[in-house]
Amino acid sequence: MDKVMSHKGIIALYVLPSLLLILAIIYFPILLTGYYGLMKWDGVSSMSFIGLENYAALMKDGAFWNSVYHSFLFALLSTLSLAVYMLVALVLAGNIKGAGLLRKIYLIPMLLSSVAIAQLWLKIYHPTNGILNSFLVSIGVEDPPAWLSDPKLVLAALFIPILWQYAGFYILIYYAALKNIPASLVEAARIDGANPWQIALGIKLPLISEVVKVTIVLAVVGSLKYFDLIYVMTDGGPNGSSEVMASYMYHKAFRGFDFGYGSAIGFFLLIICMVATWGIRKATASKDTIQYS
Amino acid sequence: MKTVNQVVLSTGIPSPFRIASSRIGYGLLYFILIFAAVIQILPLIWLLLFSLKSNQEVFNLPPFALPSHPKWVNYENVWLQGNIGRYFMNSVLITMVSVILTILLASFVTFAITRMRWKLQSMVLGLFMIGMMIPVHSTLIPLFSLFQKVGLTDSQLSLILSYTAFNLPITIMILLGFYYALPREVEEAAIMDGCSVNRMFFGIMLPMTISVIVTAAIINMIYNWNEFIFVNTFISSDHLKTLTVGVQNFVGQYTTDWGAIGATLMISILPILIVFLLLSNRIVEGIAAGSVKG
Amino acid sequence: MKRKTFSASMLLLALTLVLVACGGGSKSNTDGTNSTASGDEGSKASSGEKVTIKMMHLWPDGSNSAQNKLVKQIIGEYEQANPNVKIDTEVLENEQYKNKIKVLSASNSLPDVGFTWAAGFLEPYVKGNMFAPLDDLLQGDLKDKFVSGTTEAYAVDGKTYALPVELNIVPVYYNKEIFAKYNLKTPQTYEEFKNIIKTLNDNKVTPIALGSKDAWTGSFWYMYLADRIGGPDVQDQAVASNTFSDPNLIQAAKEAQELVKSNAFVKGFNGLSNDEAKSEFMNEKAAMYAMGTWEVPNYTTNPDIPQEFKDKIGFFKFPAYDGGKGNINDWVGGVGVGLFVSENSKVKEDAKKFVSFFVKRWGELSVTDAGIIPGTKVDTSSVKLPQMFIDVLNELNNANKVILYLDVQMKPVASEEHHNLIQALLGNAVTPEEFAKKQEDVLKAGK
Repeated sequence: MDKVMSHKGIIALYVLPSLLLILAIIYFPILLTGYYGLMKWDGVSSMSFIGLENYAALMKDGAFWNSVYHSFLFALLSTLSLAVYMLVALVLAGNIKGAGLLRKIYLIPMLLSSVAIAQLWLKIYHPTNGILNSFLVSIGVEDPPAWLSDPKLVLAALFIPILWQYAGFYILIYYAALKNIPASLVEAARIDGANPWQIALGIKLPLISEVVKVTIVLAVVGSLKYFDLIYVMTDGGPNGSSEVMASYMYHKAFRGFDFGYGSAIGFFLLIICMVATWGIRKATASKDTIQYS
Repeated sequence: MKTVNQVVLSTGIPSPFRIASSRIGYGLLYFILIFAAVIQILPLIWLLLFSLKSNQEVFNLPPFALPSHPKWVNYENVWLQGNIGRYFMNSVLITMVSVILTILLASFVTFAITRMRWKLQSMVLGLFMIGMMIPVHSTLIPLFSLFQKVGLTDSQLSLILSYTAFNLPITIMILLGFYYALPREVEEAAIMDGCSVNRMFFGIMLPMTISVIVTAAIINMIYNWNEFIFVNTFISSDHLKTLTVGVQNFVGQYTTDWGAIGATLMISILPILIVFLLLSNRIVEGIAAGSVKG
Repeated sequence: MKRKTFSASMLLLALTLVLVACGGGSKSNTDGTNSTASGDEGSKASSGEKVTIKMMHLWPDGSNSAQNKLVKQIIGEYEQANPNVKIDTEVLENEQYKNKIKVLSASNSLPDVGFTWAAGFLEPYVKGNMFAPLDDLLQGDLKDKFVSGTTEAYAVDGKTYALPVELNIVPVYYNKEIFAKYNLKTPQTYEEFKNIIKTLNDNKVTPIALGSKDAWTGSFWYMYLADRIGGPDVQDQAVASNTFSDPNLIQAAKEAQELVKSNAFVKGFNGLSNDEAKSEFMNEKAAMYAMGTWEVPNYTTNPDIPQEFKDKIGFFKFPAYDGGKGNINDWVGGVGVGLFVSENSKVKEDAKKFVSFFVKRWGELSVTDAGIIPGTKVDTSSVKLPQMFIDVLNELNNANKVILYLDVQMKPVASEEHHNLIQALLGNAVTPEEFAKKQEDVLKAGK
């Protein structure tokens, strides 16, 4: 068995093509980005080496740390919302009627491109004739807030569409994972008299713990480099109050012609993601992977 | 189709369940689930209405108000704007090739990492995982230079390679949890039977993970179908561009034709919606076929 | 996954970084060296060689169909007259166009001909030797064709690097019907203007449509206040000298905040895009709207907009400020995009010839065919135009000064910050003094 499963040629055949692909298409560019981060470069004229100056400037850049804070806030909220998604997936996977249809419906927002989603939510949040404020006015709120132009509300207003957009994604993953649990295990517990809650918490969740860890990392990393909706809906505004790391990088590199600085932000963002992932892995580490049998 | 009837019939009137639980509880549960479903399905309805409005109506009518005169002409304009058919075929081609390539490569890697034994396992996995953390915009310029050096700019291969590479990490990550959870006995039995690794992979592992493969394929498909930054950057010939470019055709220097954008979005979401509805059934079927028999 | 994973990968990452850093010097020495050779070869097409010119523009046929058609027409004419020349176009929408131009220039592969914005946007490209000087065209073929003061916006150190195809000013459009209903007259003085706002607010009509999520639209209002208070040169000087401490500039910021306080602008303006705000005006919910003259077709020729609405729209000049130094004939505005020729183009001379032809034909056709005021002089007597176009062209002719948009004047980083600061100012997140101070800081940084 060991001999068959450690055949070097086959391992190389299975792993090398993908590895070479990501080295060329992902690592080569990002390392170049790290290198550009050491340069003074506007993206047009020739570069000059300035060492860690960009990174030093980054450490002192209040606007950047503001965007870091916003990104982490999104990451935290996204992680918390996983519990809601899990709950829905548990219910859907629990043989209720119509689960198949509901599951499909939940994924619909994900099929839409960010452009469409952003447009929809812009219409919902429109300060005078948006659905939300029309509703608030109709129930007697006199001066409903202008959601996207109020620096205090804009982050919350942006988070809701993100929560909504990704619901289907995580529910689908959890659903597929839950459905993969052998029915015999659940049946056995049920015969032993466990109630649905006990089955969910005591049997199902531990069995899919790897998947849960994966989704936590996905949610955190996804939030940390999140860009799309924010870019279309507020463009980081007003006055930077919804700026996140990726949008800040974009603004610096592509709008501000400061590719050196933008690259430094991009590289730093990568490092932050790595540290965060490492932290999550450490925090959720379990000695052995749970196996059926 | 059966499920459609069931959900309609069971709205708020749950049939008795095996596990004793209060009817009110289930009623409430269904209410919440269906309420959430309504919220999730609204964008499609909105998009349909949106695509039939004029620019004025897009901004001035409430999002779910009917346009006074449905502007089917938006669809006509979009279709006659030429090239939509071409863009469409390009989107299908690039999406399909990338998805198949990604799933296959990712399954290979995940299999090798989780089931086979070798020294650099964890480091290689780490490399793939870090790949997920890279913001696309910071790779644009170096990636363009790279493709330019090897003569791949303005070639659809540059898109397929990029989509595959950037989707590999997340695909592997999704597959990972499932592969970890597969019982060891399966392959032990296979090897006892004298099965080669290749046959084990294609004959046992792929079929067993079909549900997660479908999940990953759907997610990949959505990403590739809607992607536009790479298309805009790497492709310059109009006949090689994809459907997402069709949307941008209506974004203007100072003004934008929103009704036409709605129509293009509607046209472009239909195929993916159909594929999704067909494929997502396979998740459940895959589980039924998933051979956790012993 | 084990803990070792990450430390091991990071080591690998670090190693590769060293590798790349040591081998990555090739990029910097390609700049500007290979340009001289192609320059003096002269036109290849005239010597009978087949020539392909690559051109990029930002007018997709879906949204800017008039411009798109006009570009095609001019290219067709040129190809017919020069059978050896083929012109390939690539079209991208505005935002994507800007991004791609940057990626292309960073990889040293700009198209032979393309569009650029003036001043702050153009400067890095000129400093990086990416654009070819076009002064020989201006001295020869195109001598005296341009409205004075337009090509200067594309000049760096005395050489001109692009030729304008758009010229706009920013009038305040207003709805005559709403004004008539409340007995309002177009304002001559700022006091009258404030009274109009008060009257409209008293009658629950939104005075001004503004969508300063696109912050440049908010900048118009600030710029007019700064001009009317501090005079036509105060802003140009501020950018030129990297100072923003002129008390008039601070006074203008104060007035801008006063305007916000008086509820002059539509609710939630900092979260609205220009398109969203515009619809408030088009829908007659807001009485006034300050925007570039590219909007004039919407009030004249655009077949999608009902005639009765078009008839209601007029424009006025931003009013004079009591005791201010500005002239009521100063306009915020300036050139929009202009054509450049890539310095590293292999067909530079042919590209220049084409640009020269393009600019001339464009000047003859753009107002009538596309509703765009070109950078070249328009003979109003020979073309048939809607009245509002004629009025605008007359205002341009009588202008005391056209003050180039502040965000265009400033260098890219400063311009970005100007956008943020405008949002902050109008959102009451900074005091006028802080606004000026921060603007000065970023100007001083020189990026």
